Amino acid sequence: MSFVRVNLITLITNRFSDSPVGHGRVTGILSMVGMGVGCFALIIALSIINGFESIVKSKLKDFNGDLRLSGFINDLEIENLRKIPGVISVMPYMERKGLISNNKDYRVVSLKAVDMNKFDDFYALNLNGGIPSEDGILIGKDLAYRLGKDIGDEIEISSPIDQSFILGFPPKKKAKIDGIFSTRILDYDDKFVFVPLKIGYSLFNRKSKLDGFDVRLSPNIDIEAWKNINIANLPNEISLQTWQDLNRSLVDAMKLERLATVIILSLIFLVAAFNLAASLSLISILKVKETGILRIMGASNTLVRKIILTMGLAKGIKGALLGVIIGIVIVCFQSITGIIPIPSDIYFTSSLPMIIYTKDVIIICFIALFFIFISSLIASQKVTHIKPKDALQWVK
Amino acid sequence: MGKIILEASNINKSFINGANKLNVLTDLSLKLEEGKIITIMGQSGVGKSTLLSILGTLDSPDTGLIKINGRNVEKLNEDELCLLRNKELGFIFQFHHLLPEFTALENILMPSWISNNENVSNNHALDLLSKVDLIDRKDHYPNQLSGGERCRVAVLRAIINKPSLVMADEPTGNLDLKNSEKLIDLLVEINKNFGQSIVMTTHNPEVANIGDYRLVLNDGKLKPYK
Repeated sequence: MSFVRVNLITLITNRFSDSPVGHGRVTGILSMVGMGVGCFALIIALSIINGFESIVKSKLKDFNGDLRLSGFINDLEIENLRKIPGVISVMPYMERKGLISNNKDYRVVSLKAVDMNKFDDFYALNLNGGIPSEDGILIGKDLAYRLGKDIGDEIEISSPIDQSFILGFPPKKKAKIDGIFSTRILDYDDKFVFVPLKIGYSLFNRKSKLDGFDVRLSPNIDIEAWKNINIANLPNEISLQTWQDLNRSLVDAMKLERLATVIILSLIFLVAAFNLAASLSLISILKVKETGILRIMGASNTLVRKIILTMGLAKGIKGALLGVIIGIVIVCFQSITGIIPIPSDIYFTSSLPMIIYTKDVIIICFIALFFIFISSLIASQKVTHIKPKDALQWVK
Repeated sequence: MGKIILEASNINKSFINGANKLNVLTDLSLKLEEGKIITIMGQSGVGKSTLLSILGTLDSPDTGLIKINGRNVEKLNEDELCLLRNKELGFIFQFHHLLPEFTALENILMPSWISNNENVSNNHALDLLSKVDLIDRKDHYPNQLSGGERCRVAVLRAIINKPSLVMADEPTGNLDLKNSEKLIDLLVEINKNFGQSIVMTTHNPEVANIGDYRLVLNDGKLKPYK
């Protein structure tokens, strides 16, 4: 197609769009607004999902580290692990299902024995109290509430699976609550108890060696890529899991939620696309005579269809762009100022978290373009159904 | 005999309305040579416009053959027909049918834009506008022009691509006497200067007098006008 032809389509499209055609103009504007609203809604919804996902991911990583090395790790040395490029911190751990009891109130928890000397460097938890001493432990806020315990109180912990019941009840160990953490992720505050490695070694008799290492990487490193590169250098008996692998159900649920949001909000595009198709059909009907004149002058059906298609694309894209721009401006404004508040006692944060990624914008634009193109194509097919000579008799 | 520009043989056209069949054109034939004018008269509703539409490839006959510059239009596909209409045919209508969104100059240039015809320049269109005393009106939109001015613009639009055949469907039907005379003079001048063949329908016997062949359409057939 030549430059002149492209300009002719643009020229005719602009003139037809600008000419006052009563309801055609109104419905044209409405269809633009519809596309705009669709894009705006998707940008805002996805940015809020991104914002909350970012907080959840950050909290999960703060709790678990970026990666976990587990399995047959006897030959691994912490110092060697720390030398791997990208690793900034390594935390040895032992983990068991255990019991925590206050008099006769027993609760099943995950006892996680870690090196308390590195606790502050490795974990970024919202912690009340201090890092435990030799006989101290850290419990979650919900667990403390259920047990009616506070910092400084004593509590008993035991690991029944590490004991043989033939020998009687499993030995209990008294420990002082040195700190109470609050993550507000899943049931972590009710489930996890951090104990020093020394307690772990004394309680976890069945296997008295480390279960693995939690690893923290430099913030700018792609964790999945790092895993894929380094897993090849590890023996087969050693398992390397990212924080996403460890929280697969939650990560999958977040992905599903995002997909459902995109699909449901895309219905706005569908409605807007119907509106656009109806608007273009109306404009096509109002312009039947003009397109008939063009065809009499030798314009091909293809050219006429392209004119209607271009009109639809122009209207739809204008609306979609407007929606995208307004959406991005609001997301940026909220990210900088945090002007929209949310109750911090219910959510993790005091202002609505909003983050938008380039790939999201591209996906939204692609969905919008798809609907705009299909609706414009449908409308453009109708315009050439009437014979040119009949089109001249058309009364608006 | 000069080159045959238009040849129609045994054209039949009928319209069916429920159980009624109305035969509009019956076994109609005509030939038009290069540079000649045919005028067709007839009462309203006799089928003049239908005939012109068929000859101008805007409609198809039930049966019959139409050749324009030796090409059988029945064998042309949609794109070839569009090209034929654009390059070799010009249309003038009673109600001018200018595009209201475009200026007089743009309306005149539209056929050349459609065909991407680089041989037609703005200057050529401006020359034509000067010849019909409309140069001052070149940037006016159709609703800013008088009926006579619109018709003259429509005539210029019809000849801008230098077609070999111009179809004029009652071009003076909506004009007063003075404007009718101006338009007829213009058509005669075009015929003389550019050698274009013209097929024109009209009610007006005086207008019909410009024709080299004067015919009357009656009962679906063309007969010489006496």
